Amino acid sequence: MILNLNHLHAKSAAPNAQAVVETLYALLEEGLIERSLFARLRIQLDWIQYKQNFREVVSVAENRDDRGEQRIMDIHVDTRQVIAGCLRPEILRAMARARATESERDAAPDRIALEDFKSFRNSIAWRFNSLYWRKLNDWEQASGKGYEQALPGGSSDGHQPEAVAASAAEFWTLLQDMDSKKQLPQEIFLLEIGVGSGARCVMWLNCLRGLDRQHGTNFYPRLRLLLGDYSLATLEKSKPALKEHADLCSFVVLDALNPLQTLSFLRHKILHVHSTNVYDNLPDEEVLRRDGRLYFVHARVYIPMNDAVRIATTFDMPLERIHAMVERLLEIGPDALGDPARGLSFWQEIWKAARLEERLMGLDELPDSPFPAGLDAAKLEDMLEDAPSDIRFHLSSGALESFSNTLPLLGPRGYLQVEDIFVTEFDQYRVGFHGPGKLDGSVVNWVNGALLREVAERAGFDVHFAPFPYRQGSKTSILYTTQRE
Amino acid sequence: MTLPILPTAIVGSYAMPGWLERLKTEYFARRISRHDLDEIHDAAVKAAIKDEEIAGLDIVTDGELRRDNMVDYFVERLPGVQIDRSSKKFYYDFYDGVVQGKLPTASLGLVQDFRFLRASTEREPKICITGPHCLTKRIRNQYYPSEAALAADLAKVMNLELKALVKAGAQLIQIDEPYYSGFPEDLDWGVQVLNMLVEGVDAHIAVHICYGNRYGKPSWEGSYRYLFPRILDAKVHQLTLEFARRGGEDLDLFKEFPSKLELGLGVIDVKNHEVETPEMVAEHIRRALEVMPAERIYVLPDCGCFHLPRDVAFAKMQAMVEGTKIVRKELGK
Repeated sequence: MILNLNHLHAKSAAPNAQAVVETLYALLEEGLIERSLFARLRIQLDWIQYKQNFREVVSVAENRDDRGEQRIMDIHVDTRQVIAGCLRPEILRAMARARATESERDAAPDRIALEDFKSFRNSIAWRFNSLYWRKLNDWEQASGKGYEQALPGGSSDGHQPEAVAASAAEFWTLLQDMDSKKQLPQEIFLLEIGVGSGARCVMWLNCLRGLDRQHGTNFYPRLRLLLGDYSLATLEKSKPALKEHADLCSFVVLDALNPLQTLSFLRHKILHVHSTNVYDNLPDEEVLRRDGRLYFVHARVYIPMNDAVRIATTFDMPLERIHAMVERLLEIGPDALGDPARGLSFWQEIWKAARLEERLMGLDELPDSPFPAGLDAAKLEDMLEDAPSDIRFHLSSGALESFSNTLPLLGPRGYLQVEDIFVTEFDQYRVGFHGPGKLDGSVVNWVNGALLREVAERAGFDVHFAPFPYRQGSKTSILYTTQRE
Repeated sequence: MTLPILPTAIVGSYAMPGWLERLKTEYFARRISRHDLDEIHDAAVKAAIKDEEIAGLDIVTDGELRRDNMVDYFVERLPGVQIDRSSKKFYYDFYDGVVQGKLPTASLGLVQDFRFLRASTEREPKICITGPHCLTKRIRNQYYPSEAALAADLAKVMNLELKALVKAGAQLIQIDEPYYSGFPEDLDWGVQVLNMLVEGVDAHIAVHICYGNRYGKPSWEGSYRYLFPRILDAKVHQLTLEFARRGGEDLDLFKEFPSKLELGLGVIDVKNHEVETPEMVAEHIRRALEVMPAERIYVLPDCGCFHLPRDVAFAKMQAMVEGTKIVRKELGK
C-alpha cells in the first residue's frame, strides 16, 4: 500500500495519516481488506480547500482489467471533512460500493446519478457552469452577493489597479519600441477574452491614455480593442462601463475555446491578448499516469440519496423526478419549476449537493483518441518526460484549446498575458489539490501551466509565469508569452 | 533545362509529417540509430517527391525533410562551427553553434542529397541552401571582427559547395535569406556576401526572402521596400518573395525599380491551413503580370510548406498548379 500525503497542512496531515493507516491495518487484520488488494492500494490524503466541492469524505476510483480484476484502487480521503470515528465506516462504505456489481448497487441505491460515466470535460457539471454564467444576475440576486465575492480574495485580481497599470505600461513600452523601429502598424489590435463587467478594460485604457498624453506618443487613437465574450448579455452589460472609450472598442461574441474561428482575419496581427480567470473556468479533465500507463479519469455527477430525499421533500416532487427536473433546469433555467424563485432555490440545492464519482479508464479501453486537438498520447508522453512517473494531473483541455487557438492571432511582436491560477510544475500536483471545486454556481480547476508551456514551445512560444505581486496571499500567477527562436 | 511558362515549384520544404517529427526526436533521445534515421529520411524524401510530381509541379525539391530546420543542417556540417548537442530538446530547436576560429574549407555533403533527388525524379530538380546572412545570425561569433566577416568566410566555404553541386548537375539553386527582413540594416553587407557565395557558380540562382516562417508564423512585419534598390546589385537571376499572405502591394516595387530580375511569386499562404482556390492563385498571377512579363515569373508558395499538414500542403500545391494552368490558358501558352 502506498500512502500519498497530497497537501502541506502538517497539523491535520499527521493525525489523519495516522488514523487512516491504523484503520486500514485494522481492516486488513479483520479480513475486511484482502492481502492481494492491499498490495495495489493507494491512499491519497487531500485537503480540499474549496468550501463547496464535489467530494465525499472518502471516495474510491478504480480500474479493472479485461477479466474484471482490480488493477488500481485509489482511495481518496478529504482530510478537511474527516471527523472522529468517520474513517472506518466511510472507507468500508466506499470500498464496498466500488466492489459491488451493478445489480447490487441498484438493489440498494445510495445516490441518484445525473449522467453516465464520461470524461469530466463532457460532464453535466459544465452545463451547470454555463447556466450560472447565463443566469448570473438571477443567481446573484438570490444569493445576495456578486460573483466576485465568491472569489478567494473577495474580488478579481484582474481589477487590482497596480496590476492594470503595470500591464498598460508594459504594452506602452512595446508600442514605443516598435514605433522607434518603424514596425508599429497603423491600427493596433488588442483582444480581451472574457469581459466581466468591463471595469478592467476601462482602467487599462485609462492608464494607457494617461501614458500616451504624458509622453505625447499618440498611440491611444490607433488602438482597436476587441472585447470578446461568449455571452451577449455580458457584453451588453459591459458596454456602459466602456462608454468613454467607445470609439476604440468592438464587442464580439466569441467562443473562448476558439477565438481564431471568429477573428481569423486578425491572424498574426494582434499585439496583446489578455484574460483573467477564464482558463480556470473552461472544461477540464484529469489524467493519471501509473506504472507506465495512461488512464483518463471518467466521472459522473450524482446526488447522494440523503440529499436527494431532502430535495424531493422540499420541492414536493417524487424522487424519480429529480433527474428529469435537473435536465429541464439546465435546458430553460430557473423557470423550469414555474416559479423562478423556487427554480433558483432548487438549482442551488442540487448544485450544493452534487458530487463526483470516478472511474479510471485505460487509454486502450477508450474507443477513440480522447485528447484535445493537437495532442496525442505520444506527444503527451514526450511532454511528461521530466514529470514524475506516477502522477495524476489536469489535462486542462479547455484552456489548452483556447490557448492553442489564440496563439496564431499574435503578431511577430505580440504577446499573451493571462492572470489565472496555474500549476507551473508537475510536482505541484503531488503537494496539493487543484480542483475541481465549486465557486458559487461555477466550476473551478487550476490550470496545468506546465503542460501549456510544453504545448507553446512546439507552437513557437516560450511561456513564463510570474507571481502576482499586487495582493498579498494571492494564488494568481501571470502567464505571458514571448516568441521562441 | 526545359520549363513551361510560369514554372511551378515549392520554395524548398514540403510538409513535415508528424511521424517523421517523432522519429527525429527519437533519434535525439538515442532511441533509434543514425542508420535507421537515414533510411527513414530516404523513404520520406521519395514520398515528398512523389507528392510534388502528382500535384503537377514542374520543378521539384527533396522537401528538405532531412533537415531539422533551415539552420542546423548547415551548422552541423560547417567545419569550425562547434555545436552543443545537448542544446536540443525537440528536433526543431536550434543548436547552439559557436565559431571560435577561422572557418576551414570542407565539403558540406549536399551533393549526395542532390544526387538522390535527381535519381528520384524526371522533373527539374532544385536544391535549396540557407544563405550566409541567415547562418551568421544563428551562429555565435567569438572569432571574427564582425558579422559581415563571418558571413564572408561562410560564403567562401559554401561557394565551393555550390560549384560542386553544379558539377554534379544542379542547374536550379535557391538561396534562402529570410533574416534580411529582420535586419534590413545588414542589407549592404548581406548582398556583398551573397555575391561572394554565387561568384562563378554557373546555375540559375534564386534568392528567397520572406518575413520568416519559424513555427509557421511570421517573425517580422514590414514592406519589401527596404530591399530596393540595393538588392538589384545581387548577382542572382530571381527574387522569390511572399505575396499571398501579405497582399500584392509590394509588387509595384518591380515597376518602380525596373531590372532584369525574375520574380518567384508567392501565391500560396503557408501560414494558413485554408486551401486556396485555383482562381485565387490565378488572380495573384494576373496581378503580377501587371508589373512583369510571364516569361520572368515563377509560381511558388510564399515560403516552405514545412509546417502544413501533408494533405493541406498537397491540396495547396494542386490549387497552385491548377491556378497557373488557368493563366497559361489565358495567355495562350
